Amino acid sequence: MPILGVHIMQLLGLNNVTTKYGDLTAIRDVSLSIEEGHIISIVGSNGAGKTTLLNTISGVLPCAEGTISFADKRINRLPPHKIVEEGIIQVPEGRLLFPDMTVLENLELGAFNSRSRKSIPSLLDMVYSYFPKLKDREAQLAGTLSGGEQQMVAIGRGLMAKPKLLMLDEPSLGLSPLVVKSVFETIQKIKSDGITVLLVEQNVFQSMMISDDVYVLENGSIILNGQGKELLKDPRVREAYLGI
Amino acid sequence: MLDVIIQLAINGLLLGGIYALLSVGLTLIFGVLEIINFAHGEFLMISMYLTFLLFSVFGIDPYLSLVIVIPVFFLFGFAVEKILIKPLLNDPPLNQIFATIGLGLIFSNLALLFFKADFRTVKTFYSNSNIIFGNYFVSVPRLIAFAIAIALIAALLIYLKKTFTGKAIRALAQQRKAAMLMGIDVHRTYAIAFGIGIAAVGAAGAVLMPLFFVFPTVGSLFSLIAFVVVILGGYNSLLGSLVAGLTIGLIEGFSGFFISPHLKEVVYFVLFIFILIFKPTGLLGKR
Amino acid sequence: MKSLLTKIIEAANRFRRPLIALAIVLALVIPLIPRNPFYQDLIIMIFFWATLATAWNLLGGFAGQISLGHAAFFGIGAYTSTILYLSLGLSPWIGMFAGAGLAMLVALIVGYPTFRLTSHFFALATLAFGEVLRLLASYFRELTGGGVGLLIPHEPAFRNFIFENKTAYAYIILAMLLAILCITYIFKKSRFGYSLSALREDPGAAESLGINTHRAKMYALLISVFFTSIAGTFYAQYVAFIEPDIVFASHISVQLALLSIIGGIGTVFGPLVGSLFLTPLDIFLRGWLGGVFSGLNFVVYGVILILAVMYFPLGIAGWTKKFLSRFRKPPELPVVKPADIPMIKAATAITRKETGGPLMTVDSISKRFGGLEAVKDLSFTVHEGEILGLIGPNGAGKTTVFNLISGFIPPDKGKIVFNGRDVTSLKAPHCFCRECIGRTFQLVKPFQSMTVLENVMVGAFACTRNPEEARKEAFAILNRIHLSHHAFTIAASLTIADRKRLELGRALGTKPKLLLLDEVMAGLTPKETEDIISIIKSISNEGITIIMIEHVMKAVMSLSDRIVVINNGIKLVEGLPNTVVKDQRVIDAYLGGAYHAAAGLK
Repeated sequence: MPILGVHIMQLLGLNNVTTKYGDLTAIRDVSLSIEEGHIISIVGSNGAGKTTLLNTISGVLPCAEGTISFADKRINRLPPHKIVEEGIIQVPEGRLLFPDMTVLENLELGAFNSRSRKSIPSLLDMVYSYFPKLKDREAQLAGTLSGGEQQMVAIGRGLMAKPKLLMLDEPSLGLSPLVVKSVFETIQKIKSDGITVLLVEQNVFQSMMISDDVYVLENGSIILNGQGKELLKDPRVREAYLGI
Repeated sequence: MLDVIIQLAINGLLLGGIYALLSVGLTLIFGVLEIINFAHGEFLMISMYLTFLLFSVFGIDPYLSLVIVIPVFFLFGFAVEKILIKPLLNDPPLNQIFATIGLGLIFSNLALLFFKADFRTVKTFYSNSNIIFGNYFVSVPRLIAFAIAIALIAALLIYLKKTFTGKAIRALAQQRKAAMLMGIDVHRTYAIAFGIGIAAVGAAGAVLMPLFFVFPTVGSLFSLIAFVVVILGGYNSLLGSLVAGLTIGLIEGFSGFFISPHLKEVVYFVLFIFILIFKPTGLLGKR
Repeated sequence: MKSLLTKIIEAANRFRRPLIALAIVLALVIPLIPRNPFYQDLIIMIFFWATLATAWNLLGGFAGQISLGHAAFFGIGAYTSTILYLSLGLSPWIGMFAGAGLAMLVALIVGYPTFRLTSHFFALATLAFGEVLRLLASYFRELTGGGVGLLIPHEPAFRNFIFENKTAYAYIILAMLLAILCITYIFKKSRFGYSLSALREDPGAAESLGINTHRAKMYALLISVFFTSIAGTFYAQYVAFIEPDIVFASHISVQLALLSIIGGIGTVFGPLVGSLFLTPLDIFLRGWLGGVFSGLNFVVYGVILILAVMYFPLGIAGWTKKFLSRFRKPPELPVVKPADIPMIKAATAITRKETGGPLMTVDSISKRFGGLEAVKDLSFTVHEGEILGLIGPNGAGKTTVFNLISGFIPPDKGKIVFNGRDVTSLKAPHCFCRECIGRTFQLVKPFQSMTVLENVMVGAFACTRNPEEARKEAFAILNRIHLSHHAFTIAASLTIADRKRLELGRALGTKPKLLLLDEVMAGLTPKETEDIISIIKSISNEGITIIMIEHVMKAVMSLSDRIVVINNGIKLVEGLPNTVVKDQRVIDAYLGGAYHAAAGLK
């Protein structure tokens, strides 16, 4: 929200972005804009292209057409590790922890980039303030944690990278309702700490409730865009998921 | 009889340490890049020749030459990865297999060209000396080689455990995509891992030199051992390779005495086939 | 100028068979020509290496199993016949087959466990095996002569496999070469050949189409070993001297691979072409450089090998084939009368039929992967003729269910009954295919280097051995799935929509009673989706029972007779499409807890 005429700047901008797998166009002509300090959600059924979109922003997949800019800098030709240096961090779907490493090592690897590497102790304190439970689990192998704890490590690992934009891919997937609730609380806390969040979620209800802005993706294109709580009532959202 | 067995166990274990050092590089390369370096034995052979030259031309002691061999081989491996391996990483296995086999062919025959088929060795003052503990003999060069091998493996494990680059290498082996998303430069890390693997086998060559002869095809002898160690150790565990290396050393010691020293490779292979049949993930493998 | 080139190439294409015949006649005449022993030897060596490489290529090229231990089988052949001849006076003609038998037995013992390995480790295991046999041969010197070797005395007689004249050897090795070439040529066109190519390209897909991949690899190995071994006997008789370091040398194995790669791996004539180029080069290099710079010839080999895999992986034959295909007109498509295509009739309207009795009953199956319980106590039944939709949010365990009921992973507990038979304990996916369960894969697995027609033929071979029948059946299927215009396109160059249809067509080829469709509409445009919906309808109208996993909800709703919804591996709801999507539990599972309430739904 603009505060007394202070213009809130655009942090991430996608301009007519198209991504292909071979000859399959996975996302088509997507444009979106994320303002600093907001939570933006991208929702849509399976195979709509949400993860592809995040991977394109992260530089894991090449952007075939269009441009991506981050803090006024074009980033769509940079390799993934350079994009991390810029401050865009993705917490991938399925957590993808380093299973044979301890929780602490996982977190430390989050701070691999040169911006964060020097300040690991303070970053660890910050992550433990989010997830006090992880401090007790420091020495445990990540592969042996429960699903909810793994998600904490995954988000914590992302926070260790000092993100300006944190992209979360399906953080509530496969978790119990109670844990889902705490994940969404965490996301709001991240926002209140000044980090911009791009959320890809299957849990449409919860993500719309906390988002400033929501994009609905279907078949690789954006079909709807609006404020979270308003879109909640839009029947087209349900149609995109359930076909009715 | 008990004395004989203990003596054999000592000899075997000492040898096993070198086998472990020889194999950890192969394991590391496979764990991170998911390719088997079929030229591994030939890298060993080159390192033995390098050590031989440093000794015979400049009079540098084989153990001292580690200071030269390790960095040189790291760069060697780094360059080979950049030039030969990187372009083939997404190719079918056939191309990867024959690229490293071709490399091995070139190495061993270049050696033949330069050094002829002669067996060469370095003669140091300690080459034939033994320490006597009670009833048991311990060969000095074997003991030193063992100590260095274990120290280097320990150093490697600590490096992988403690340093950022080391952690990046392990991260890449465990979860490639996440490693990428954490800002790890995948291609650079691949080259570093390959370089470390080659440096390890280079070090093994240097400490082997006072114990063995070098000749152009010596590599194939040792690569067989390295392959069995890697499989026994469970493909991608360095600790597994260490244990497996020591085990193979012990087996070699005993089979050499009880069966025949000329059949030790046959014993490895029978072991190898049995592992494949009954425990395809290796003795210490997971999954 | 260009038109002249085109004309020549077209002519070459048209007269392909006569050209092959001419080449054979030429090969038959060539051994008679030179009087100079050097050239006679060159011809014999070309044939000899071509025989070995063609045999290697059957396993390494066609089946994709890279053996670095073929020297072992070569050595077994050479030693068995020689030892039998020298010690028992047995004619090498008989010893040759004794050797081949022994080599095949050894191959069986070594191949059985090693075929479970991935390519890299198979190569490694065979390399180790070859090395070990060499050491064994050097060790048992009473038997093998050890480093001294065995010398076969020069007593020319047909019975002794020893001849005054080199021409005789040339014809013997030529006969071996023609035999293995013929076998390879026939296999390439046969069901077996298709099985090998399929398992090389994708073992999982091959299994799903009824191919016993393990057995097919075993057969390829045995045939390959047979010829390698008899070539070993030939070598021993021709050179009249063998020692372990020569006949068990590991570089023999590498040489075979090199010839195949340079000539064109996986092609019938590639290894021969490779031998035509490289054997003279080899003899030249050895003769010219070998004496002065021993080893330089192998350095050259290594360089060629690396350059070939990096820049010329198709090889001469493969490249020529690709080059010629640019000028070749695609074969005429057989004319298929619409009446011959049962599906086209009622492609749009689904005729609701009475569904029959239970075809498959899944009884409380569970599967756990480490800490994750992917499927928990799941039970459902699909009836004959029905379309059952299997839906659920991401990560619900749907594909795991498919893998369980098509034999790709065994369930931890529970029972699967199909067509009245308990199929739970069938060992491999190909057994499920033979029970008439066909499937597609979420991530399509086309046999990349094969044409669309050949892909579908692999499926059709599940029901026939006859290539012509398989071809006809495949054409009929291509018409049904609207892909006949791409019959001769290489699968790798298809669009995603075409690949999905190909996957479907390939499974149809196996004539399934039950067809499992895993997200065949994902990533398609609305128009492509409509097309595939009409195909699915027509398949169903033919009486084939279908279970489909799908995220395109409109399609699931309109196609399914019944729907099973799973979430977190558990069955959530089962019922008619219209009731299921309105179910509060389903909406919550898809859109998040309490969505229905917040959105003001009932």
